[in-house]
Amino acid sequence: MSDGKRSGATLRLEAVVKTYGTGEIAVHALRGVDLKVGAGEFVVLLGPSGSGKTTLLNVVGGIESPTSGRVISDGVDISSLDADGQTAYRRDHVGFVFQFFNLIPTLTARENVGLIAELTGGQDDERVVGVLHEVGLGKRLDHFPGALSGGEQQRVAIARALVKDPPLLLCDEPTGALDLETGRTVLDLLRRVNRDRGCTVLLVTHNSAIAEMADRVVHMRSGQLEHDHRNKVPVAAEALRW
Amino acid sequence: MVRLLRVKRRRDLRRQRAQFGAVIATLFIGVALFGATSDAYRNLNASYRTLYADLRFADLTVTGGPVREIARRAEAAGALASIRAVTDVPFEVDGSKLLGRVVGMPSDAQPLVDRVQVLSGTYLSPSRERGVLVEQHMASHFHLAPGDALRILGPGGWTTVEVVGIAASPEYLWPARSRQEVLVPPGDFGVLFVPEALAQQLSPSSAADQVAVYGAGPGLVSELSRVARSGGSLDVVPRSEQPSNAALQEDVSGFGELAVLFPILFLAAAAMAAFVLLSRLVRSQRAEIGTLTANGFGRRTIFRSYLGYGIWAGLVGGVLGAVGGVALGAWITHLYTSAISVPITVIRFSWGTPLVGIAIAVLAAVLAAAAPARAAASITPAEAMRGTTPATTGGRSVIERLVPPARALPGRWKLALRNIGRSRRRTISTLVGVVLSLVLVLVSWGMLDTTSILLSRQFDTVQRQDAQLYFAGGPATASELSAARAVPGVAAAEPAAELPVSISDAGRSYATTLLALPQDTTMHTFLLEGGGTGHLSGTGLLVGKALSGLIGVSSGDLVTVASPALPGPIRLAISGFLDEPLGTFAYVSLPGLEQAVGTNALANTALLRFAPGADRSEVLNRLQAMSEVSVVVDSRGLASSASSLMGLFYVFVGVMLLFGGLMSFALMFNTMSANISERAGEMASLRTAGVGRATISGLLTRENLLVTALGIAPGLLIGYLLAAVFMASFNSDLFTFTLHVRWTTLVLSAAAMLVVALVSQWPGVRTVGRLDVAWVVRERSV
Ligand SMILES: Nc1ncnc2c1ncn2[C@@H]1O[C@H](COP(=O)(O)OP(=O)(O)O)[C@@H](O)[C@H]1O
Ligand SMILES: [Mg+2]
Repeated sequence: MSDGKRSGATLRLEAVVKTYGTGEIAVHALRGVDLKVGAGEFVVLLGPSGSGKTTLLNVVGGIESPTSGRVISDGVDISSLDADGQTAYRRDHVGFVFQFFNLIPTLTARENVGLIAELTGGQDDERVVGVLHEVGLGKRLDHFPGALSGGEQQRVAIARALVKDPPLLLCDEPTGALDLETGRTVLDLLRRVNRDRGCTVLLVTHNSAIAEMADRVVHMRSGQLEHDHRNKVPVAAEALRW
Repeated sequence: MVRLLRVKRRRDLRRQRAQFGAVIATLFIGVALFGATSDAYRNLNASYRTLYADLRFADLTVTGGPVREIARRAEAAGALASIRAVTDVPFEVDGSKLLGRVVGMPSDAQPLVDRVQVLSGTYLSPSRERGVLVEQHMASHFHLAPGDALRILGPGGWTTVEVVGIAASPEYLWPARSRQEVLVPPGDFGVLFVPEALAQQLSPSSAADQVAVYGAGPGLVSELSRVARSGGSLDVVPRSEQPSNAALQEDVSGFGELAVLFPILFLAAAAMAAFVLLSRLVRSQRAEIGTLTANGFGRRTIFRSYLGYGIWAGLVGGVLGAVGGVALGAWITHLYTSAISVPITVIRFSWGTPLVGIAIAVLAAVLAAAAPARAAASITPAEAMRGTTPATTGGRSVIERLVPPARALPGRWKLALRNIGRSRRRTISTLVGVVLSLVLVLVSWGMLDTTSILLSRQFDTVQRQDAQLYFAGGPATASELSAARAVPGVAAAEPAAELPVSISDAGRSYATTLLALPQDTTMHTFLLEGGGTGHLSGTGLLVGKALSGLIGVSSGDLVTVASPALPGPIRLAISGFLDEPLGTFAYVSLPGLEQAVGTNALANTALLRFAPGADRSEVLNRLQAMSEVSVVVDSRGLASSASSLMGLFYVFVGVMLLFGGLMSFALMFNTMSANISERAGEMASLRTAGVGRATISGLLTRENLLVTALGIAPGLLIGYLLAAVFMASFNSDLFTFTLHVRWTTLVLSAAAMLVVALVSQWPGVRTVGRLDVAWVVRERSV
């Protein structure tokens, strides 16, 4: 990972099945998902609660392994990686953003981002500061999470995901804990990051309004892809209403 | 409604069984040790009391002076008195010559006071004038049995006597020669109970010289003591000061002190562990508790429910500990009485100890549960349903504020430093664990170090002679000294006078041993109380420092020194106080003493030093074989027999180390579990970012070791101070226990704490390693 723009990841899912438990209590979270995502695409994964969105994201992000099927990221089959392989894949390829920010309360914004950089390969402070400027926190570098608003905390979390310059950004309900206004600015930021960095973004939500900002919307229901369409003209995040 | 809470509690207990187990185990150890030590204390006291009553152990023993007058007064007041001759004379058993003691007894019946318990053979009989009873410790050392023979040296030469029985005596349960010589190597001392007529015959002076009084209350004892002192008695010993009893009481009171110290340490640790566990439980169940209150559960119900966790843990730990304590107490008592050969072991079950044990365990656990239970009861439905835990406020650590360059430390170090301030409860709990364990470890290890340093001080520094000789002819003459010097392996021999004396001033007196040595002696180093070494000069008296408190004298004071071996009392000035580990002796220069007394033939013994590299036992054997010599004392015998004493000590310290380790393990384990449960979200988000398990383990380890290390300095300090107090409580004229702790002990205890920290965090770190990241990111809201 050098500086300069890194091209986004391509993804290919082939017949991905994820089943929790066995026998009577088996839950079929993914029932054979096939999906292709091109480099630099901004895809929204839309579906009701329990439809398997998070499971799909976790499988793509190397947090969970599929029960069967293959997940190929940039030509590499990650479904067959062992634990160390998955860790390395997450370290080098994936940035995660969750509904809950999970920042370390005893570290400042700069230190939260810096710690990840430090623990995953040692980026310099300049880059950490640069990413925080990029997410609009240039003036709040040395604030502790407790002194930041929810939206600001989520921006720190995004900066933390971006500091490794990952080709793939996975966001699971990133606005779920935020109010409308703040949510829109966070979505705007994600859209901008996708455009500026060229990274591939997969964003999970149950909120259909958000889907309008995507290049492409994939609908999920009961562990299956139901419907996949492209927005001719994605709506700007600020214009979203829900 | 309440039944539901009970079900919930049962499930919580089961889910957190390792953490509750840690609390219960600590309570168990605390209560068991409390029970064991206080039962041992009670049982040993009862055993001694029973034995003393059965054998009519004297309330007062007076040597010399108006013994008949004292016996008459005692009997007039309704007490019992026995008069007897007691003499220290050489014995020869199987070629070994030792300085023993003969005690006269009526040969037709047991004496009225200080009876013996015949363990084998028979009591004395008038028909066997040369039949004697051997005190059990000597009998077992020399493997003597009824029918065996040994020799006693009297004024008329060696006499052969026959063993008729082996006996235990309340005066020699602990075979101490005197208060100066409480620790005597087996084989250097022994007691024979002989027919009174034989004892009289063996005494140099024919006067009956000792009276023992039984059944005297404190008033009579002090009245008789006054009569004795004013009548010029050499030694006046109330039961509490009797050497054997005093030595045993030191031990027993040690049990008594441990019975207080142990439960305090362990119950404090258990309470802290329970507090950390329940606080975390309540915090993680905020939403649940909020739901319960929203559904109409009253605050009091919730409070009582969480208090119940404490009551349960206290009851389980307390009951198990109480049962363990009763068993352990009986076992320790048996072990102890058989090690000391106390012929009577009284083990009485008393409900008091287990009940108190259970009560204090429940109390500790309930106190620990009170604050978390109150916190639970004050959670409002709205607050809990918002799902946000109270924000931990960030801030720079103290170190970063004090030392600005610390701000440039890498993130992992900052994380560790700031973790100290993150949860004060957890930090304090870890610190408490470290401090309590170090107290336990240092108190026990300090005792070991002190004892071994004390012994090496006594035998390597203070006492420089290798052997001491007594001569068959009595005085140590020039020709005998040169004969001793001629023995191959002997490098030097000095004449010395060793006298039993009573030192008195203004109505108070103390019986001790006066050792008169050549002015420029090389056989003794005089360590002065304030530091530095002193020298003998003129008639100046150097005395052990305990004497200043015992008879209220200070340097420069004139004291009266009386001894049956001197023609009359003399007055000497105290020239200094000595800091000597064992006993409270008095020293004067031999020429000075002779000048004060007005004779020049006082030397009655010789101190010898061996040539470097000489075979000690070989030289000792050669000395034993000398016809002029009646007794050879191996002056380093105690130093070598002490190593076997140390063996038991190491076991004790090992057990305490283990308990200390368990205690801090329990506390750190719970603290660590709480830490990890609170931070699962953070850890999971690091894992999703591709931070490896080893790196996260490293982060946590760094944090824990840092907090542990913080506790080490205060722990060592507090442990040291408490150990010093504990040690000082054993100080008397018998021993000077000044705490000495080797620096290696401090380093090793500190290292042991770090090892315990590493071990106790291991389950927690493993949990983080196994953390189901997917589950945490799905469910977690931090
Ligand atoms: N660890 C698990 N064990 C059992 N079932 C699970 C587990 N994780 C998720 N599920 C189930 O899988 C299904 C899909 O869940 P999820 O991917 O979280 O859905 P979404 O994110 O769309 O709400 C749900 O029915 C959920 O209950
Ligand atoms: Mg989801």
